[in-house]
Amino acid sequence: MKLPMKDNKKNSVLVLGAGIAGIQASLDLAEMGVEVHLVEETPTIGGRMPQLDKTFPTNDCSMCILAPKMSECVRHPLITLHIMSGLKNISGTPGNFICSVIERAKYVDPVKCVACGLCEEKCPVKIEDEFDVGLRKTKAISRYFLQSIPSEYTINKNHCLYLTKGVCKLCEKVCPTGAINYDDQDKEIELNVGAVILATGIDPFDPIGFGQFGYHRYSNVVTSLEFERMLSASGPFGGHVEKASDGKPPKRLAFIQCVGSRDEGINRNYCSSACCMFAIKQSIIAKEHSKELEATIFYMDIRAFGKDFDKYYDKAENQYGVQFKRSKISEIKELSDGSLDLKYTYENGDIQHETFDMVILSIGLQPRLGSRELSKNLDIRLNRFGFCRTDTFHPLKTTREGVFVCGAMNSPKDIPESVISASGAVANAVKYLELERYDPSTGSEEIKEKDVTGERPRVGVFVCHCGINIAGVVDVKNVAEFAKGLENVEHSEDVMYACSTDCLETIKQRIEEHDLNRVVVAACTPRTHEPLFRDTISEAGLNPYLFEMANIRDQCSWAHMNEPEMATEKSKDLVEMGVGKARGLVPLARLPIDIDPEALVIGGGLSGMTAALAIADAGHDVYLIEREDVLGGNMRDIFFNFNDSDPQEFLAETIEKVENHDRIRVLMNSIIEEIAGFVGNFRTVLKNSAGEREELTHGAVIVATGGNEHETAEYLYGESSRIVTQKEFERMLHEGKFPPGKLKEVVMVQCVGSREEGRMYCSRICCSKAVKNALELRKRKARVNIYFAYRDVRTYGFAEEYYSELRDRGALFFRYTLENKPLVSKIRPDDPDSRIRVTVFDPVLEKDVVIDADLLVLATAIDAPEENLKLAKMLKVPLNSDGLFLEAHVKLRPVDFATDGIFVCGLAHGPKDMSESLAQAKAAGSRALTFLKKKSILAEGTIAEVRTDRCTGCGYCEEVCAYTAIEVDPEEGVAVVNDALCKGCGACVASCRCGALDLRGFTNGQLFSVFDSLELEASEGI
Amino acid sequence: MTDSERKGAVLPAAKEPGDAVLDFLRLVMEKKLADAVILPLKVPSGDSYAWILMNDISLLDDAVPIAATMPVHGAKALRSLTRKGPGNLTVIAVMRPCEIRAAMELEKLGQVHPDNLILATYDCPGAVQLQKYVDDPAGSEKLFTEMMQKGKPDDSAKPVCHYCENFSMFDSDIHFGHLGLSDKEMFVIPGSSKGSKFLEELGLTPAVDLSAWEEGIDKLKTDRKKARKSAFEETGVQLRGIDGLLSVFANCIGCHNCQSACPICYCRLCYFDSETAEQNPDALIIAAEKRGGISLPEDRILFHTGRMAHMSLSCVSCGQCSDACPVSIPVAGVFSYIADQTQRTFEYIAGRNDGDPLPLRQFRKSELPGVHELVKDADAEVSSHE
Repeated sequence: MKLPMKDNKKNSVLVLGAGIAGIQASLDLAEMGVEVHLVEETPTIGGRMPQLDKTFPTNDCSMCILAPKMSECVRHPLITLHIMSGLKNISGTPGNFICSVIERAKYVDPVKCVACGLCEEKCPVKIEDEFDVGLRKTKAISRYFLQSIPSEYTINKNHCLYLTKGVCKLCEKVCPTGAINYDDQDKEIELNVGAVILATGIDPFDPIGFGQFGYHRYSNVVTSLEFERMLSASGPFGGHVEKASDGKPPKRLAFIQCVGSRDEGINRNYCSSACCMFAIKQSIIAKEHSKELEATIFYMDIRAFGKDFDKYYDKAENQYGVQFKRSKISEIKELSDGSLDLKYTYENGDIQHETFDMVILSIGLQPRLGSRELSKNLDIRLNRFGFCRTDTFHPLKTTREGVFVCGAMNSPKDIPESVISASGAVANAVKYLELERYDPSTGSEEIKEKDVTGERPRVGVFVCHCGINIAGVVDVKNVAEFAKGLENVEHSEDVMYACSTDCLETIKQRIEEHDLNRVVVAACTPRTHEPLFRDTISEAGLNPYLFEMANIRDQCSWAHMNEPEMATEKSKDLVEMGVGKARGLVPLARLPIDIDPEALVIGGGLSGMTAALAIADAGHDVYLIEREDVLGGNMRDIFFNFNDSDPQEFLAETIEKVENHDRIRVLMNSIIEEIAGFVGNFRTVLKNSAGEREELTHGAVIVATGGNEHETAEYLYGESSRIVTQKEFERMLHEGKFPPGKLKEVVMVQCVGSREEGRMYCSRICCSKAVKNALELRKRKARVNIYFAYRDVRTYGFAEEYYSELRDRGALFFRYTLENKPLVSKIRPDDPDSRIRVTVFDPVLEKDVVIDADLLVLATAIDAPEENLKLAKMLKVPLNSDGLFLEAHVKLRPVDFATDGIFVCGLAHGPKDMSESLAQAKAAGSRALTFLKKKSILAEGTIAEVRTDRCTGCGYCEEVCAYTAIEVDPEEGVAVVNDALCKGCGACVASCRCGALDLRGFTNGQLFSVFDSLELEASEGI
Repeated sequence: MTDSERKGAVLPAAKEPGDAVLDFLRLVMEKKLADAVILPLKVPSGDSYAWILMNDISLLDDAVPIAATMPVHGAKALRSLTRKGPGNLTVIAVMRPCEIRAAMELEKLGQVHPDNLILATYDCPGAVQLQKYVDDPAGSEKLFTEMMQKGKPDDSAKPVCHYCENFSMFDSDIHFGHLGLSDKEMFVIPGSSKGSKFLEELGLTPAVDLSAWEEGIDKLKTDRKKARKSAFEETGVQLRGIDGLLSVFANCIGCHNCQSACPICYCRLCYFDSETAEQNPDALIIAAEKRGGISLPEDRILFHTGRMAHMSLSCVSCGQCSDACPVSIPVAGVFSYIADQTQRTFEYIAGRNDGDPLPLRQFRKSELPGVHELVKDADAEVSSHE
């Protein structure tokens, strides 16, 4: 790949912290052609995510979804990793920063280390494993965790016997590559970059210092992070949860919410936002491990405010039978058998006792240890809780220009929010760079590819020892010897580490010496290592697809570690199958697809405008389509904000920027009639209100079509001037026009239309919006009584503080249930201005309370516009069951669609507030730029192809394709593959009964050749 | 439209029910409500039928809307007409219910585009087996007339007809019902909004109560259900185990006629006729060594089971495969038996035109728990190895 100019401050960014946010930011930047320095404190990238077992609300395995991103990050030629490093300070000016980075001594040369593990085996010093939160032991020389990336070992200098006491050196003796270097020193380096992105993440709340709930005193009280490691199949207990007291599996679990959150007494008067879902997830996973297990969650409010979270909550309660008890824990006692007696109080004052085998503390998220020092060193300010300070309208900017923040460093966030903020921060950072479009399809140093067509297959086999990893079980020499006898094998040898630099050179030499035209490596998994070997053989002039891998580590030495002979036999089978496959391999080409530099943004609300600005500011033309005759969307109805900044002022500034931007063309009163094409090559037909049509061509699409306020028919809405929605109320507050007469009693009803049949989702912003408006009302009319009828108060994040303020100011809160909604009637039924009688059940007093209200304010739900369906069909992207656009992956691809080149942001994706919309809009802009910054992209080599003479156009393939990469041409009646969109997954091939489809690199012929060789081999074995 | 509300119009029939259909079609052509008609026409020799797309109204004089036997399946005729799109002309076709059902399946498979087709069915008494018809056309015609009168198949009919439950109205646009009426009358019943509109334009008002006809159909269905049960029991026993399968298909000569005759088999080139199916000689010899022996050609049973896997969800039990078999293998009985089970598994009825997609094209949430269990078992296995 040809890389953009290097060593240019105008073209590089430093990212601090390599958790999911830092990884995402680095990848987005690198894909735009930016040189990235990714600085990470620990020996591996990955951050908190690898510690998680599963992720809500899809129960995806955390490591399974993260690992590919980690590999991509470490392999990206534009990303330089600085592990075990810290950022000391930043000097210079935005656009031209000098960053001092301390690279701490690792004592193991990463170039020589092949991660064989011999050193760890021999190291005599056992220490607590940080990754497994002390639940297992590790050694003074170790790999941070099994799938660490980079995988090289490091020495913990505080525990190493040689470094502390000058004795031992065992690791040095056993290291086969001489990688140990006790003389390694900390180094300080200077990096010249255009911008800095901070993504240092959070720490889990540590309950020890606060002595809460008997943590550490009682052995069966654990934190949610410890419990997560226990649940993890790769964790210290192999996924078998057991009690510390007796090693038996627990039967009754209690989860205690808000430990270290929503607690003013310990300066944590904020909601950690993720723990409710975290606990629900853990209860579901625990119950999946053992059906008899009982789980109870003790909570104040269940804050399942994210997309599809309420459905997950409902599933836990009604499908898995998890108990939810809204109560306060007043006491926890350990009984003689190690079980725990919980005393808790319901809201009506009832006190109960219950015994549990294990208590899990749902610990909150807090700023990282050392963040205060870091903020001083970097000259950025923190908020009162110690998180990085940002403001509503600049959610990703620190107080220092050119330094941006993402992930949970500035507020507690879950994974998708972190990913969104990371891509969003990138949009901010690139403004300080000067980026050129570049062309990854033209190689910098062209190696002439050897034409092997028509040649007899000449296969080279390399069998890897991987230190003891493979050779400890499999007789590697025997396997290599066996391979020599296989048909078409010209050369076979065993190698110590196939992936080491010298061995890669050996492979290239052998290709030369033996005129090899196919290569098989029997080693580890193609998922991590295939790209490396492909690059190697292409350096030797072979097409990279003339390579095949046999995974004799995972499938032989790991899976059959106790049956070495069988493992060796199986390795031979796999090698033979690999040779069988290699025999039939043919060279494949990756065709370049040109990318149009323009973008189309659909929707002129806050999100659409922000996305348009992000792209335009990076030097690309943007078409911004708005259906109405005015920009601003829903934000035109927002007048207040918690921190007193003026939303309307910000909106006016944004509109001005958009209208005056020379790269943005605003097309008002326009609707989309047709969108055709694919990534880099879209064609859109617009129609304006005068009926004129215009055709636009563009490389990317951003969907920012917004949302609507739900039109309710409940609570007599529309029948009295005194019944208004929160949106109407906000305007009322702004204009000062209240209903006639005195305003004394105001009732607010939450969840109008949300979280019930027909709209099984939380509209997310209504609780905060109602609290905001109530406080604003209090400011204007101090003597008003405010009554708040709610189901759960979901003022997540820092909005919690305002919720407690409202409580402190005497607003009365009544929790209602779906079965017992507030009753509303007009006192004078015929009077359109009649006062309103609201009857609401008070669960504290356990009786009905009647309020004659001067104003009833309804927090109505946010609806997905019906027009979404039409647009979704045109774009061929999916909607979820609520009519919201469905992203490619709810955790790791929250603004992408599975179809390349199309992105989503704002309310079109799901309910969210202004800050979140701004972040996501910037993220969508960034993601689009990862394509638009390239002049062309390369299609995959392994893609599906159609044999038109066999295809009957039945359309099975079209329906099973997740990427809209195959379609039946209506005129020809046969399927056509879009090379640009095909990901080579093979789903269509499997679905085709006519045998009209084949996957290049995995053709029927090639696969049958594999089976044939297996059959031959098996028979010889018998 | 529920059954109790269903009404029909009555058409007079000159001699036999088919005459009413012909008169109806003449009216359609005169009123220019269709541009052409698809019907079976007697071949010049007078001893068989062919599907003819006709717009010359005089051809209707030789047409036999309710033909005694079915040499080529009607859905194949519709496929050949609309494979590349619906076309701009309106065409009306009168066919057996199993032919229309197959056409509905082919629509889901993109092979028939019925947008501009008016599809009509009639109360089918069964079809005479092709071989029997070829052996004695005149005798077969006589037997078929009797079958029409009784509304029941006799020994000359295809075996599957004896237990066909969907022999009457089934998601067609228009249905001609004659059971329970005299030979001189025929009900014409709208079956879809398209059909209702068509009858309206034709000036026919469905106002006559159909309960007598419906009762007759229901009674026949009950009999067929019983017959179906016992036939399937028998087939089940025959097919049990690999030996059963081998015996049933023992005489298969590998001609693939069943596949050619099948209206649903829509591949241009069958996998089993393609080069991919050809085996490497060493592999075959080794397989023989391993198992003691293998039958050649290797794809005899695999061909049939492969076809079952591909087609049984769409099988409408028309019986064409058995008619096409030169060695009298009860292919249709076997396929019907398998189709019954696979379709029940997916709660799917082949030939239904209710918007329900083909089962393998969609994934229902309710199918998840099963998959989930599988995944979990696999997970547990993996973790126990680590």
